[in-house]
Amino acid sequence: MTNPLRDPQDRRLPRIPEPCALVIFGVTGDLARKKLIPAVYDLANRGLLPPSFAVLGFARRDWGDGDFEDLARKAAQSGARTAWREEVWSRLAGNIKFVPGSFEDDAAFDHLAQTLSDLHDESGIPGNAAFYLSIPPSAFPVVLKQLERTGMSDNAKSGGWRRVVVEKPFGYNLTTARQLNDLVDDAFTAQDVFRIDHYLGKETVQNILALRFANNLFEPVWNSNYVDSVQITMAEDVGIGTRAGFYDTVGTARDVVQNHLMQLLALVAMEEPTAFDATAIRTEKLKVLNAITVPTDVFTNTVRGQYLTGWVAGERVPGYLEEKDVPEESKTETYVAMRLGVQNRRWAGVPFYVRAGKRMPRRVTELAISFKKAPHLPFHQTDVEMLGHNQLVIRVQPDEGVMLKFGSKVPGTTMEVRDIAMDFQYGEAFTDASPEAYERLILDVLVGDKTLFPDSAEVEASWNVIDPLEEAWAGSTPEPYRAGEWGPRAADEMLAREGRAWRRA
Amino acid sequence: MIGLWDTTGIEVVKALANERRSAGGLTSGLALTLVAVVDERQVREAEAAATIAASAHPCRLLIIVRADVTQQRSRLDAEIVVGGRLGPCEAVVMRMQGRLALHAESVVMPLLAPDVPVVTWWQCAPPERIAYDPLGVVADRRITDSAQAADPVGNLRIRADDYVPGDTDLSWSRITPWRTLLAGAFDATNIGVKAVEIIAPDTDPTAPLLGGWLEARLGVHPTRRSGQGKIMEAVNLELADGSTMNLIRDLNAGIATLQRTGQSDRILPLSRRPLGEELAEELRRLDPDQPYAAALAAATGRSSLDERLAPRVHIWKDPALAERPEATPLEPVAS
Repeated sequence: MTNPLRDPQDRRLPRIPEPCALVIFGVTGDLARKKLIPAVYDLANRGLLPPSFAVLGFARRDWGDGDFEDLARKAAQSGARTAWREEVWSRLAGNIKFVPGSFEDDAAFDHLAQTLSDLHDESGIPGNAAFYLSIPPSAFPVVLKQLERTGMSDNAKSGGWRRVVVEKPFGYNLTTARQLNDLVDDAFTAQDVFRIDHYLGKETVQNILALRFANNLFEPVWNSNYVDSVQITMAEDVGIGTRAGFYDTVGTARDVVQNHLMQLLALVAMEEPTAFDATAIRTEKLKVLNAITVPTDVFTNTVRGQYLTGWVAGERVPGYLEEKDVPEESKTETYVAMRLGVQNRRWAGVPFYVRAGKRMPRRVTELAISFKKAPHLPFHQTDVEMLGHNQLVIRVQPDEGVMLKFGSKVPGTTMEVRDIAMDFQYGEAFTDASPEAYERLILDVLVGDKTLFPDSAEVEASWNVIDPLEEAWAGSTPEPYRAGEWGPRAADEMLAREGRAWRRA
Repeated sequence: MIGLWDTTGIEVVKALANERRSAGGLTSGLALTLVAVVDERQVREAEAAATIAASAHPCRLLIIVRADVTQQRSRLDAEIVVGGRLGPCEAVVMRMQGRLALHAESVVMPLLAPDVPVVTWWQCAPPERIAYDPLGVVADRRITDSAQAADPVGNLRIRADDYVPGDTDLSWSRITPWRTLLAGAFDATNIGVKAVEIIAPDTDPTAPLLGGWLEARLGVHPTRRSGQGKIMEAVNLELADGSTMNLIRDLNAGIATLQRTGQSDRILPLSRRPLGEELAEELRRLDPDQPYAAALAAATGRSSLDERLAPRVHIWKDPALAERPEATPLEPVAS
């Protein structure tokens, strides 16, 4: 029987998950402290958590519930987006539990299983639980084995739903991704696996679908007849920080292109889904991911870079090779630019230029659709010298928004046409209302809405794009670029050869 | 910020355009025009609320303060604020005195942002009939606040009689937190409901609306009982199997307790939100709110509110005629 108080027309009532528990593995780690716990607090503060809700932390610490609550309180207080309200916290804190133990320790997992089933009687949580694996992938097999052994991953045994949340990296290449997928899908069912790509939790990214499929203005020109090229940029001003050990083994392409940028590309290039639900959207995304072609001549159509010592935002920063724990002869890239194609009727012949890098002049992620020039200009050549391509830019972060660039007459007695920008600032006006990506995604996991989570087929399809490139790059040396520049010269030359240029993002 | 004293509507339009230009396209993505009809004593409160709401919905905010309607001499004072103390909106605060106050629309119409929805919000006693106020007739959405009427509960009947789709009342947004908790409690059960009791003061308009909503959804006519406090205190439900489910608000702590037979008590957040957040909730939806219509209909015993036609036609009503009958023959048509 459906809830009589829920009415699809009643959109004031928020979606609230069923009574459930959130089990966080690696709860003392960075991600849990900076993102997950604050997000849980924010959800509680916004009244979006069910009446019965428990958080279980699991980590190798010799702690009681109280010690963990202290850590959680500090994490929530420093990371929360919404105002601090003691009564909300104390309500939440009453349902925070800590289970100490290592991943190999059978007794600890039995204890965890017991704690979960105790919740049934204590707090009326009927076996629903989401397991958040905020741990390195190397620890996945043993944790998943333990969950299987104790029956915690089994929907039928637990009498409710059991879901698992995994973070990137989703493997290291197609083979390892497949192994990981098999492993997770085996322990749980494929239906219950949620892969978090926090980019997809961002409002602007979801707005891409609204912009494209709710409007009639853009769709007719959203194809190779009108689009000249697409640029997808993800620039970070930071370096690798303390992640050298991880970063040096993967590089930019595996770290961000395989997941975030491939997802953005899929959303921009996909066909219209038959409905706005998880399956329909996934079908279309998968089609377009499978249609991506990598250049046959990898070295002319991709550029790898590595940053040198330089200045970023008024500070002198070390080069990649001087960063702590980076091997001296490291050939790992911190910048990558590539020219991809999408082999279908809509996009044949349109280059998709994708670039991502660290130590760029500023932090920005954006999608720019560059339109073809008008086939005939009735103006005098000199009048339109300053007229560029029409552009539609979707800024993902920061200053979320949409910009449309088009030519307009410069006021005056002569006919002179120049580019101007029409700007819709999403962020500026909606900041207060726009939730943190993790908030949205955790809520979706608990509600069971998979629309914003890539599935294993999508992950594998994206590796199919990255793997051949990585193979070709193996052993080559990345081009140096100075920290604080928009990547190596070679990347500019790559576009210049085709008569194009990177947008200054 | 620009202040204009004893000015005209045309000057205000010019000044707003100037301010926008010099502010550099600050609010280029306007989502709506919010017309706030405000009582002189509540200007500050209305501004604070509109600031919160505007931070979630970029808007052009027109605050209208009407005073001394019966005074012979008309006067318009205006203050123009583009992106400043009133948050990320462009605001015009207008004080209208004399006969002009009855023709506020003549100043407001040219100030409405082109082709975006207009929302009119009365931060004062709600009009007897919205059709009497041209500022309500021009709006796509109308927000009243029954709590500010002399007889708040009686005013719900007026709202129901006057209802056309697109009307809502802040008494309705005030109970969204209650409704959220109740709906949440029902997610975990599938037992029918036998009886509903609401404990709230007799003068609280939110109680009949909550009752109306429960009646519309559950088909059970609720009973009312007054408690000790000044606001709604509890909702008690008796389920078909004889067990009970009580949601009781702690008046000071910002929480509510959910008691269910056979289960331990749950503490849930339930605090009074600032007016601005309630207003922001209203502005999130610009289409008619059918659940509100159903709740209002059930609360007042009216039916099929939803089938009424949306557009209103302005009905001229001059308070001066009532107060100074001798003035009528002097200005028969033009005023």
